[in-house]
Amino acid sequence: MSQATRQSAPPAPQRLAPLPRKRVPRANGERTKAIAASTLLWIMAACFGFPVLWFILSSFKPAGDLFSYPLTLFPETWDVSGYGKAWASYDFYKFFLNTTFVAVITTVLTVVASACTGYALAKYNNLWLKTFFICILATTMLPTEVILSPTFLVIRDLGLYNSLAGLIIPSIITATGILMFRQFFLTVPDSLVEAARIDGAGELGIFARIMIPISRPIIITLAIFSFQWRWNDYIWPLIVINDPSKFTLQIAIQSIVGAENVDWTVLLSASVISIIPLVLMFAVFQKYVMNADINAGLKE
Amino acid sequence: MKSVPLNTPVSRRSAVKAVAALSGLAMFGGLTACANGAGDSVKSLKFWISTSVEQQAGYDQLVAAYEKATGTKVEVVNIPYDGFSTKLRSAAQANDLPDVARVAGIDPLWTKATVNLSDITNNAANNINKALIIADDKGKVTSIPSDVTASGMFINVSLFKKAGVGYPTDPEKTWTWDEFLAATTKVREAAGAKYNLTFDASPSRLRAFQYQLGGNAIQYNNGTFSTNDKTVGIYNYFKKMNDDTIMPKSVWTSGADPNALFKSGQVAAYFSGVWQIADFEKTITNFEWAAVPSPAQPVHATDLNYGGMTVAFDNSSAKAKAAHDFVAWMYAPENYKALAQTNGFLSVETGLNLKYTFKSKAAQDGFALYNKEIELADPLSSSFAEAQVQWALKGKALADDPTKSQMGAFINGQQDAQKTVGNIIAGYQKQAGGE
Amino acid sequence: MAGQTLNASAASKIPQARSKVSNRYRLAPLILISVNVVLFGLFFAWPGAIGFIYSFTDYTGIGSPKFIGLDNYTELMGDPAFYQSLVRTLLYTVMAVPLSYVLSLAIASLLVSRYAVGKSIARVVFFIPWLISPIVTGVIWKWMFGENFGLVNFLIEAIGGKAVPWQSNADISLVVVVFAASWAGTAFNMLLFIAAIKNVPQAYYEAAELDGAGSWAKFRNITLPSIAPTSFIVILLTTIGAVKEYAMIQALNSGGPGTENNLLVQYIYRTGFQNGQIGYASAASMILMVLLMVIALVQLWVNKRKGQ
Repeated sequence: MSQATRQSAPPAPQRLAPLPRKRVPRANGERTKAIAASTLLWIMAACFGFPVLWFILSSFKPAGDLFSYPLTLFPETWDVSGYGKAWASYDFYKFFLNTTFVAVITTVLTVVASACTGYALAKYNNLWLKTFFICILATTMLPTEVILSPTFLVIRDLGLYNSLAGLIIPSIITATGILMFRQFFLTVPDSLVEAARIDGAGELGIFARIMIPISRPIIITLAIFSFQWRWNDYIWPLIVINDPSKFTLQIAIQSIVGAENVDWTVLLSASVISIIPLVLMFAVFQKYVMNADINAGLKE
Repeated sequence: MKSVPLNTPVSRRSAVKAVAALSGLAMFGGLTACANGAGDSVKSLKFWISTSVEQQAGYDQLVAAYEKATGTKVEVVNIPYDGFSTKLRSAAQANDLPDVARVAGIDPLWTKATVNLSDITNNAANNINKALIIADDKGKVTSIPSDVTASGMFINVSLFKKAGVGYPTDPEKTWTWDEFLAATTKVREAAGAKYNLTFDASPSRLRAFQYQLGGNAIQYNNGTFSTNDKTVGIYNYFKKMNDDTIMPKSVWTSGADPNALFKSGQVAAYFSGVWQIADFEKTITNFEWAAVPSPAQPVHATDLNYGGMTVAFDNSSAKAKAAHDFVAWMYAPENYKALAQTNGFLSVETGLNLKYTFKSKAAQDGFALYNKEIELADPLSSSFAEAQVQWALKGKALADDPTKSQMGAFINGQQDAQKTVGNIIAGYQKQAGGE
Repeated sequence: MAGQTLNASAASKIPQARSKVSNRYRLAPLILISVNVVLFGLFFAWPGAIGFIYSFTDYTGIGSPKFIGLDNYTELMGDPAFYQSLVRTLLYTVMAVPLSYVLSLAIASLLVSRYAVGKSIARVVFFIPWLISPIVTGVIWKWMFGENFGLVNFLIEAIGGKAVPWQSNADISLVVVVFAASWAGTAFNMLLFIAAIKNVPQAYYEAAELDGAGSWAKFRNITLPSIAPTSFIVILLTTIGAVKEYAMIQALNSGGPGTENNLLVQYIYRTGFQNGQIGYASAASMILMVLLMVIALVQLWVNKRKGQ
């Protein structure tokens, strides 16, 4: 197997050692590039971050100040009552647990299923596979509301109503995940697969032992996406789950949006609380994507 | 309860179930089968509401007292408003309705599954306002309103004081819309406000406005919708008000938030309703506010609606009885009084003499004002609320009121008043009209 | 010389020049896709079929549907509001997709480049907007671009200008939605691009540097072609997402002013579901699906052509 990979590597120019990863800009040209790139990056980050900053700061404003004129960015008095109220009144802790449970299980299953399907679509060539690919694309093309009521009837007939499984199982299929894995495996050279076959590995073995490990960045990226999708799911958990002890986070947050009024302080605070775990998770896992020295199939 | 006539054959169902069992690692969470008590006494009931946290407090208090009095536990579940009716429908289709619910509107999909509450409304001791109750032709009462809501006017007292302009405080001596606009214009110019008023983008508020100007908004008579000849003129008057000087256009055309605009302190008045009192007490701290008599030109009217409708569901004979008993207890005057006082409800029972728990004078005065305004209101004021129950009993539903988008298009200049009226009536007729 | 050899072998490694495995393998792919086939059947095909049947009836959600043939479709084809929403949606898509693509690719490139400083924090900053729910996003952008008391108008008037009708002018309002949607959606595309750019072998860049290629040349000749498959799915998914846009525009201007900015899905909601005309809404949704399928197939075909 190592022979195969070495054969597929492009003939690296032998006379130079590969340049080190993190390079301290030394020459003048390098420094200008560093300044230019950093400035551009930070201008864009500021544009993106400003609305977020307002959002977070507003959650600390007392209700009376939220809309008062003239507009202020910073709260005149810092008020955390919105947070206390959000946490206390909606059984947040239990909903956190439910949502985390559903999100984690679904993410694991989603990644596995998408990786299998993406690989099959990329590396095999059958008419029915191509048809299935079009079918997968089709799943992105109907608006949720159309599918909602009939899907609910399906869930009911399957006996999955009012169970967390009813949230998990329909969410496993995702065209985005399948597309991601498909395009990734398309970039993996076929010679890798061929060589493994010559070495006597079975198809599924090739998939499990070679392909999965090298697709780690895609796995992590899809895991981040899937987790966020499940975390922010609203209408589906609302309809499927009847037992309030199984409610998810978004149901609690939407409860704050009343029929005639919205308690903005509580809503903003609750929203901030609900996105903190996602941000933390991203901050931790993005390292794996960024540090992945992939070069799929071209190195061990 | 009718559902889609697409029944899966049994063999397919079991095959599909086998697949589902295989594809899930385990059936987490278990299936909560609908517990149909076989005749033994019911120990706990499910009660679905959709309210703010403050109003849930009143219900929590109520069920705690009920448990103390009778030993039956009632579990209160607060469901988000956006999605509540969808959830009730799905629950009906899955045979998993709660026992009691405070719903926003009657849905013909599950009216057949409700318990008859007529003995509660007919009970003279409860003093429930008969004008608010609709029974079907067999005398069955499907729902009892939990509270009454009414539209009304609020003003920014600080701005009025700054401009030195007065305002009426007695509903019997209220102002006309023309006088109101003149007064608020003076306030705007003298005190430097940005707009005269903001006006909720709600069909209910528009109805109140129309009643006050002598129109009759939309009338329902045995399956047909109609309106009188004043409507076109009133619409044009309203459009003229939406000129970005008196009123910001963006509220009705693009969904701008009139509540936030009023709270900015830059607007002299706000036409909304009684539910704002509880909110304003907490959230307006930068200026003085007050509820003032609604303008009348020349009709004293408001749009009387139900804040919620209490229904009981028939899930089994034992549960139906238990649900019925809970609702009966809820409407006993001393229990209902406690509920209404804590939640800031306008009462459906007469003669209760409520003492609300609000702390500010503005709030207390506001409630007193609303109670008085309702007494003075023209009977037209509750015609729409009654019509809603009537067409629901006929098996129709108004899934969405076309008024908002039609008025938005009209104010935006996309169509004229005549066409707007026509479209709105047609929209109602299509959804809720007919036999 | 070395450069040329590199180019030749690199060209042979570029994903387009691949040969697919023959039809010999049937069992393995079947096993691999089995779970998704079942899920597809249960949760898309079955409900989709139900919806399809509804489109030929006058179903209102209550009672039993009555078969009315193609009436829903003919009514749909004759409704000027439908065509208006179609045009508006295409206009929105044509603005949103390029902006989103360029923005997320630019940010991804910066975040992968070794020159920029402070990347980890910047990454989190770009990620947060994607986490925020549409209703809160609507509040945030309405606060900034609100016509009456918005921040931008406040600043414009403070420096002596005239307030811009961010909400009353349909086209300006649509542009605001385009920016808000790009703001919210960038993180998704950005992450896809980061994974793809990281996948390009470092050796290519090193070789190109030996040949004296500058940053832009490296980007244009190495990065862009190598990430072409990812570019394809980004454009495809962004296009589909833009045509299906609902929550963001509803939160920002309710499809207004009036009904001028009603996009396709809003049309379906308004005339269909909110009117209780489930059959009609299903018919309109089927037309939407056909439209999206055509777009997807065209993009697939263009992608295939480019690869040859």
